[in-house]
Amino acid sequence: MNEITFTLNGKKVTLSARGDTRFLDILRKELGLTGPKEGCGEGECGACAVFVDDRLVNSCILPLAAVSGSKVLTIEGYRQTKRYEILETAFLKEGATQCGICTPGMIMAAQNILSQNAHPSEEEIREGLSGNLCRCTGYNMIVKAIRRASKSGDGPW
Amino acid sequence: MVKNVIPSSYQEALKILASGKYRIINGGTDMMVRHRNWAETPPKFKQDILHIHNLSELNDISEEEDILRIGGAVTLDRLLAHPKTPGVMKECLRLFASPAIRNVATLAGNLANASPAGDLILILYLLDARIVIESLGEKKILPVDKVVTGPSKTVLMPEEIIKAIDIPIGVAKQTYFVKVGGRRADAISKVSFAAVYSFDSDVLKDIRMTLGAVNVTVIRDKAFEQTLIGLSKKALMTRKPDILKHYEPLIRPIDDQRSNKRYRKRVALNLIGDFITRIGG
Amino acid sequence: MWVSRMRKDISSGIDNVEGREKISGRAQYTSDIRLEGQLYAKTVRATIAHGLIKQIKLPEIPDGYHTVDYTDIPGDNVVNMIESDWPVFAETTVNHIGEPIMLVVGEDKEVINAIIDRIEIRYEPREPEFGFNTSIAKLNFKKGKTKEAFKKADRIIEETYETGYQEQAYIEPQAFIGYPEDEGCTLIGSIQCPYYVKKAVMRTLDVHENAVRVIQAYVGGGFGGKEEFPSLMACQLAVAIKKIGRPIKLVYEREEDMEVTTKRHPAKITMTAAIDAGGKITAIKSHVGLDGGAYLGLSKVVLSRGMLAVTNAYTVANLTVSGDVYKTHTVPNGAFRGFGAPQMIFAIEMFIHHIARSLGEDPFKFRMDHLVRQGDLTATGGVFRDPIIMRDMIAKATDISNYHDKYREYSEKQSNRGIGMSWFLHGCGFTGSGEQDIIKAEVRLKKDTRDIVHILTAAVDMGQGPKTTLKKVVAGVLDIPVENVTFANPDTRYVPDSGPTVASRTMMIVGGLLARAAKKMKSQWVGGQEVVVSEKYAQPDYVKWDQETMQGDAYPAYSWGVNVVEVEVSPITYETRLKNVWTVYDLGKAIDERIVRGQMDGGQAQGLAYGYMEVMNHETGKISQKNLTDYIIPTAVDVAESHNHIMDNPYPLGPYGAKGVGELTLVGGAPAVALAIEQATGQKINRIPATPESLMELMQDE
Repeated sequence: MNEITFTLNGKKVTLSARGDTRFLDILRKELGLTGPKEGCGEGECGACAVFVDDRLVNSCILPLAAVSGSKVLTIEGYRQTKRYEILETAFLKEGATQCGICTPGMIMAAQNILSQNAHPSEEEIREGLSGNLCRCTGYNMIVKAIRRASKSGDGPW
Repeated sequence: MVKNVIPSSYQEALKILASGKYRIINGGTDMMVRHRNWAETPPKFKQDILHIHNLSELNDISEEEDILRIGGAVTLDRLLAHPKTPGVMKECLRLFASPAIRNVATLAGNLANASPAGDLILILYLLDARIVIESLGEKKILPVDKVVTGPSKTVLMPEEIIKAIDIPIGVAKQTYFVKVGGRRADAISKVSFAAVYSFDSDVLKDIRMTLGAVNVTVIRDKAFEQTLIGLSKKALMTRKPDILKHYEPLIRPIDDQRSNKRYRKRVALNLIGDFITRIGG
Repeated sequence: MWVSRMRKDISSGIDNVEGREKISGRAQYTSDIRLEGQLYAKTVRATIAHGLIKQIKLPEIPDGYHTVDYTDIPGDNVVNMIESDWPVFAETTVNHIGEPIMLVVGEDKEVINAIIDRIEIRYEPREPEFGFNTSIAKLNFKKGKTKEAFKKADRIIEETYETGYQEQAYIEPQAFIGYPEDEGCTLIGSIQCPYYVKKAVMRTLDVHENAVRVIQAYVGGGFGGKEEFPSLMACQLAVAIKKIGRPIKLVYEREEDMEVTTKRHPAKITMTAAIDAGGKITAIKSHVGLDGGAYLGLSKVVLSRGMLAVTNAYTVANLTVSGDVYKTHTVPNGAFRGFGAPQMIFAIEMFIHHIARSLGEDPFKFRMDHLVRQGDLTATGGVFRDPIIMRDMIAKATDISNYHDKYREYSEKQSNRGIGMSWFLHGCGFTGSGEQDIIKAEVRLKKDTRDIVHILTAAVDMGQGPKTTLKKVVAGVLDIPVENVTFANPDTRYVPDSGPTVASRTMMIVGGLLARAAKKMKSQWVGGQEVVVSEKYAQPDYVKWDQETMQGDAYPAYSWGVNVVEVEVSPITYETRLKNVWTVYDLGKAIDERIVRGQMDGGQAQGLAYGYMEVMNHETGKISQKNLTDYIIPTAVDVAESHNHIMDNPYPLGPYGAKGVGELTLVGGAPAVALAIEQATGQKINRIPATPESLMELMQDE
C-alpha cells in the first residue's frame, strides 16, 4: 500500500492504495467522481481525460503513484470555471453533444487546446482532438464549438 | 501482493533496481495497457513496480556540444516543445498517439518497450542515438541498434535503467518522414519510413534510410548507405532499381490484425522508391 | 393538418435539453450508478467456436459468491426476440467463441477473477462452419415478369458485391445494474428498447408484467447495438438477481464488448441485370446472403430490409429477389443503423454505375433515366405516393460540389483524385405492418395541476435528440414553452410501450402520436387541472402489406438523400483521404436543425468509414480487432468538413411533416466514397471496406 497525497479540484486528498491502481478507478470508485468515463480502458478514446499539473492525461492508464504531489483537475472542478461556461455555451449553440459520453473528455481536450493557443486554426483543433473518439457527432460540430469559444470576446484563454 | 515503490532519489532507485525484482514504470502508457485487468481491479503485474517519473536526474533535457541528452523520464510533450529537438523527431512526435499520451509517454519508455512498430525508435536509429544505461555502480553507453534485439526485446537487464538518450543534433540536413497507419491520427504504424540526406551541389554527401514495422527491429543498412555516397542525382535515380532490390529481402513484415505482409512490403518499397525519386529526380 | 402556431419555424435549433447535464459530466450513465450493497457479475464464456460442453469443474466457491447458469432459469432459456433461438446461457452446445456459459457474482472483483481463472471447462469440439452454407432463414419476392425480361434482354450483366463487419463502437460499453423488487427485479441499463428488455426478462423469469421494471439510464451511444443485445444481458442479470437476492452490476469491458456483441452482418450480394436494346434496365435478379452468426435473432428482418432496398432510388419493372441468412459459428450479428440497407445500397449504387460504364453510357445520365418518380411502383409493388424531390436534390448536390466538372476532370486525366455520388432512400419505420401487428405503439401525455406537460413514451434518447425534438413537437402543438414540457428517461413503470427506438420511427411514428395526443389535449385543456391523454397507433389505410409474399407498401414513407464525396488516393501508400463531403437530404421537415445536422455529420462519418476505413474480421471464429486501438474508427483528423443541406418535403402524416432521419445519413456513405475511390484509382470496387490493403491488391494486378 502506498500513501499518496495530491490536490484534487483544489482540495488536498490523501489516500492509501496500491500505487499502480488506475487513477480512473480512484476517481470513480474511491472518490465518487463519475465525470471521467471509461470508454476503452486503454488510453484510446479520451473519455477519461483529466488534468495533472495542467497536462491532459488519460486517467484510465495512469497509475495512482504518478499523481503523487500533483495538482489534479477533473470535469467536476473545471465546470466551476468561467472558461467552462464559455465552452458549455459554445457546445450547446453548435449542437456539439449527442449522447454525451465523450463530451467531458472533449471539454478537457478543448481546454488543453485553448490553453496552448487561444486562437487555434481548424487543423490545430482537429489535431488537439485526435485523442478523443466520438461516434455520434462526426466531430465537425465539436470543432465549430471550440472555434466559437476561442472567439469569445474577453479573451479568457 | 505487488509492491509499488516511489523512490525519493535516483540513488535509491538504483539500489532498489539492483535486486533485479522490479519493473520500471514512468507514465505507464505501455505497461498499464499491457497488464490491464478488469475495471476497478489492480493491473496484472507479476513483479514489483518502481515509479521513476519524479526523479530529477531523469527529467532533464540538456545540450552538450552537439548532443541533446534526453533524460529517461522526459515526456514526449516536453521533447516536442524543446527548441533543439531535431525536426524529423518533431515530425514523428506530432503524429505519435495523442496529446494526452504524449504528456505521459517517454522516449526511454518507448525504446524499452521495443515495439517493432515504434516510430520513435525508427528516429533513434536514423539519428544514430546512443543510449546511456545505468545500474548501481555501472554505466554504459550503447548505440541504439545494440540495445534493441527483437520484438519487445532489449539488452536491458532488470537492474538497469535508461538514464538518458543522446541524440546528435545539427546532423540532419534534409529529412523525410512518412508514417502509414490505419487512420491519419492516433494510429499504430503499419509501415514507417524516415530518411536523412544532404547534397553538396549535385553530390550526395549523406544518406540514411530507416524502415519501421516491417521486420522484428528497425531496418537500417549503414554499409549500403555508404555505397550511395558520392553519387550524383542522376546516378542515384539510375541506381533506384538496385536500391529497391537491395532492401527487398530485408523487408520481412507480418500479417496481423492491422494489416498484411504484402501490403507492408509493397508500401515499404514504394516509400523508398518515392523518396529516391523526390531527392534525385 | 398540423396547425403550427410557433412564432419561429420549428426547424430552428434550440439548446439540447440534456446538453448541460451531459457537458458538465453530471449525466449518470449506467456504470456511474452505485447501489448500496451491490455485487458485481462477470461472464464466463466459451473458448471454442462450436462443440459440446462435456464437463464444468468449479473451484471451491467462497461464501457470498455465486455462479449463475441455465439451471437457475425459472422460465425459458431463450432471449425473447423476433426469432427466439438465442439462449440466455449455453446449456450443452456452444455455437460461438465468447458464448455466455455462466455469470460469477460477488462482492470483490479480484475474488471473482480468481474464481473464473480456476473454472475448468472440458469441451468436445466440433467442426465449426464459417461459409455461406447453412441457411436458417429465407425470403423472396418478385415484381413483374423477370424471366421474360431476361429472355428479351439485349445484354445481361452480373456482378457480386461483398461487405464486411461493422462494429457500432458506441463509446459507452454495454451495461446494466439491477436490484430485486417484489417477485422480480428492476433493471437500469444502457438500452434502446425498455419494453424489449422487459418482455425478455418476463419470459426468462416466468413472471407477470408487474414484476419487471426497466429504466433507461443515459445511453452513451447505441446505433442499433443496444437494440436487441441488451435483452441477453438483462435476462442473465435478472436470473442472477432472482437467485441471489442482491443488487448486481454487469458492465462489459471494451474488449469483451467488441468480441461478443452484435455487429453489422457481413454480406454477399449478387446482382444480375437485363438490359434492353434501348439501354434500359428491364429486370434485376438479386440474391442477398447475410452472415447471421450463431443465432438468428433479428437477422431475418435485416435481410428483409436489405432485400427491399434492391432498387434503391431507381425504378425497375421486373425483379426477382431472394435472400438467405446463413448460420456460422461466430458472434451473432444484429442491428446497426441502416439494418441491411447499407449493404444493399452499396451493391446497387456500384452496380448501376458499373452497368452504365459497361454500356459506354454516362453514369449520371444513365442513373437519371432510371430515377424513381412519384407514382412509380416500389420494388414490392407498393406505390411511391408522396412527392419525390430527388431531381432537385441531385441538382443542388451537383451544383454545390461542382460534381460534373470534377467528374469530367478526374476522368480525363489520372490525378489520384476522384468524386463519387450516391443516391438513396430509406424506408421510415418498421417494415410492412410491423407497427400495427407487432409494436402497437401507445403514448401518453399528462398535464399536471401546474400546467406542466409530461411526455410518457418509451422512446430513448441515445444522442439522436428525441428528448429535445419530441418536446418541441408537443410544445409546438400545445403552443406552450418547451420548458413546460418534461420528458424523463423512460421507466416502464410509468410509460406505455411506444415501441423500440429503432428503424428511424421515433419522430415519425412516436412523434406523430404525440402530436395527435397534444392536439387532443389542447382541445381538453383546463388550466390548473390534471389532463391525461392517450394515443394509440393506427396504420394509415393506404399501407397494404402482405408479409408472406412481401408485396405492397413496405414502408409508409421514405426519406431521401444524396451524398457527394471527393477523395485523393495515394499511389504510394494506397491510403484514401477524404477531401470534401456534400450532402442533401429530404427528411420531410427538420424538427431541430442543430440535431439534424448532428445526425448528418455523425451518420456520414460512420457510413463513409464503413466504405473505406473500418475493418473487422475473424480468424476461425475469433474477432481479430478487439479494442479501439485495433478497430479503426475516424478521429477528428480523418473526417472531412461536410456541407450539408436539408430540403423540406413535408410528409402529411408526420409531425410538422417530419419523416425519419436516424439511419438515412449513414446508408449512402459507402458507395459515395467507393465510387470516388474507383475514379481516383481507375479500379473497380466490388468490396468494402476499400482499405489501402485491398486497393494495393487491385492496383498491383495491373
